[in-house]
Amino acid sequence: MESQLAQYIPVLMLGALAATFAFGTLLASAILGKTGYRSRIKDTAYECGMLPVGEGSARFSVKFYLVAMLFILFDVEVVFLYPWAVVYKDMLVEHAHLIFGSMMIFLALFLVGFIYEIKKKAFDWKS
Amino acid sequence: MNISASILEIAVVLLGVVIMLADLWTPPKYKSWLGVGSAAGLLLILAGSFFLQVNEPIQAFGGMYVLDAFALFFKRFFIVATMLVLLISVEYSKKFQSGSGEYFSLSLFALSGMMFAASANHFALLFVSLELITITFYILTSFLRHQIISLEAGIKYLILGALSSAFLLYGIALVYGATGTMQFDALRAQSANMVQSPLLLVGLLMILAGLGFKIAAFPFQIWAPDVYQGSPNSTTAFLAVGSKAAGFALLMRLLMSAVPDVALSWEPLLMGMAAITILYGNLCALPQRNLKRLLGYSSIAHAGYLMMGVAAMSLNGSGAILYYLSGYLFTVIAAFLVIILVMQHTGAEDIIQLAQLHQRAPGLAGMLALSMVSLAGIPPLAGFFGKFLLLRAVLEQASVHTAYYGLVAVAVIGVVISLVYYFGIIRTIYWEKQQLVADEIHVSPISRVVLWVCAVLMIYLGILPNRLMEAASTAVESLKF
Amino acid sequence: MNSPSLAACLIFSACLFCTGLAGVLLRRNLILILAGIELMLNAANINFVAFWRHHPASDDVAGPVMVLFALAIAAAEAAVGLALVISIFRHYKSTNPETMEDKSS
Repeated sequence: MESQLAQYIPVLMLGALAATFAFGTLLASAILGKTGYRSRIKDTAYECGMLPVGEGSARFSVKFYLVAMLFILFDVEVVFLYPWAVVYKDMLVEHAHLIFGSMMIFLALFLVGFIYEIKKKAFDWKS
Repeated sequence: MNISASILEIAVVLLGVVIMLADLWTPPKYKSWLGVGSAAGLLLILAGSFFLQVNEPIQAFGGMYVLDAFALFFKRFFIVATMLVLLISVEYSKKFQSGSGEYFSLSLFALSGMMFAASANHFALLFVSLELITITFYILTSFLRHQIISLEAGIKYLILGALSSAFLLYGIALVYGATGTMQFDALRAQSANMVQSPLLLVGLLMILAGLGFKIAAFPFQIWAPDVYQGSPNSTTAFLAVGSKAAGFALLMRLLMSAVPDVALSWEPLLMGMAAITILYGNLCALPQRNLKRLLGYSSIAHAGYLMMGVAAMSLNGSGAILYYLSGYLFTVIAAFLVIILVMQHTGAEDIIQLAQLHQRAPGLAGMLALSMVSLAGIPPLAGFFGKFLLLRAVLEQASVHTAYYGLVAVAVIGVVISLVYYFGIIRTIYWEKQQLVADEIHVSPISRVVLWVCAVLMIYLGILPNRLMEAASTAVESLKF
Repeated sequence: MNSPSLAACLIFSACLFCTGLAGVLLRRNLILILAGIELMLNAANINFVAFWRHHPASDDVAGPVMVLFALAIAAAEAAVGLALVISIFRHYKSTNPETMEDKSS
């Protein structure tokens, strides 16, 4: 039984190390940050030169997030095309229908999503 | 490659795509017909599923996907569940300000995820199908997006759901590292002689946490009450039957066919989870005045009863789970449809809204009382027989491990506690004196049909359980336990 | 070819996982909570690649393929999450979950 428990020691060590790292960085930033000589001028974005005007984080239009989301989705789904392209030539010999058909089905489903977005005017930036 | 094995899923996805495209060109007035249309399409697919013969398990996609009697049973269960949910959401969709057509197609996509989950034989398919269900449900729970409570439900479900899927994925990575495979048949061979491997056990524990979230078992149940309360009523019903059943299908497939040796050594853990879930759900349900929140806690308790079947680790236990889920399906659908109909105009969800319901709508009052009786497990309804089968399966195992007696005792205590709140609802319906401004309750023909179907099946399954029991026991035999 | 040892990869990914988990539990901003979850998912992805690279039977490509699926799913999750955060923001003018509690009660 003891030898069984001893096997868990690496797992325990891993957990302890991970926890130390996670809380250590938090602690370190709490201790090291916000110390030393500070003044209002120090905290501005540019210590010398132009005075910052307006808010630090500019507001984006909601449209921006919509476009960003659509981009993420289409961009990431394309990731499946790369491995497909790599094995395409090898598989063409034996499983031609499979390799071609499966990607066509995938792209057809994609097209449906695309039609949906156009009809919902997701690409209409003006309104 | 055997693509025809997944013909049912392909049909459901196609139906979903067609509904989604049809929605774009359908004028708002006719949108509810899309829901009826998709339910009709599902009825056709259900009929088609009886032409599939699975004497031998059929594998497809390089062993990722398996079609056996177990998968087929769950596929039919999910199709029936989604069909009923679609019909009650036709009733409810008047509340959506827009996008009721999308609600229907999203339900169909969730269904395809559940059906793939029933056939998962590889961790990749397990993860992808589970995420297909969960991500669709993020949208379905926050569908009333002009109501803050629904958005809050959505974001709570999203954060906790994504957290649990991160644990699930990390667990899968550890299991892959320990055994070098993610395919369940290969895993079964590999895991038999590495029951002591810490990497494998930690990985499986994290996977158990991820699946425990889906079925709302203790200690992963914290999301359930808020999400059940905030979601649109039809989504709550879908969560209670569809998403939970998919979690159990995956849990049973994983524990019994992929890693049976590890699962056998986890019996005490599973028993503990079941017992605490039962007690937690029932005790928290006691003081609730909000009807949906009460049903949320009661659904946690039911997840606990179902966990008993998993903890029994026997064919009878698994068969009992399938039976219990089927009875639970019709009961929950009936209860939620009555809630939708009664609370349509008021918007409030307090139990007191049900006062004197038997004078306003005797049919609905009787229906709600019937489903409460079934949930409480009173003979001769479906809920009673399901509990009976589960308890019997657990008692059979008591010769192996005496702790099973304790589990049975906890379950009986849980049932007794649950009688208090279920009969509290019935008391409010029939004997509460308080008079309310009585709205006229209009029951559409579709709702009438759904209520009749549920009532008949609830009673039928309670009185003549044999046929479903036979189907369930042949289904679980393919788990190779 | 010189590649980091399996233990180094696993320790790194465990640290990443815990950083993500700490972010989810401690941060008070919905966007950062979502970012924490992405970190956790990517920690799992590193594990998949590391185990695949160091496993004796590495002609099987299940590990890296799983990473592709996990990436796609994480993107879908992030998209739905961002959409939800935007609609929450329209209600509350804030992405802090605690201000949500205050106004709803």
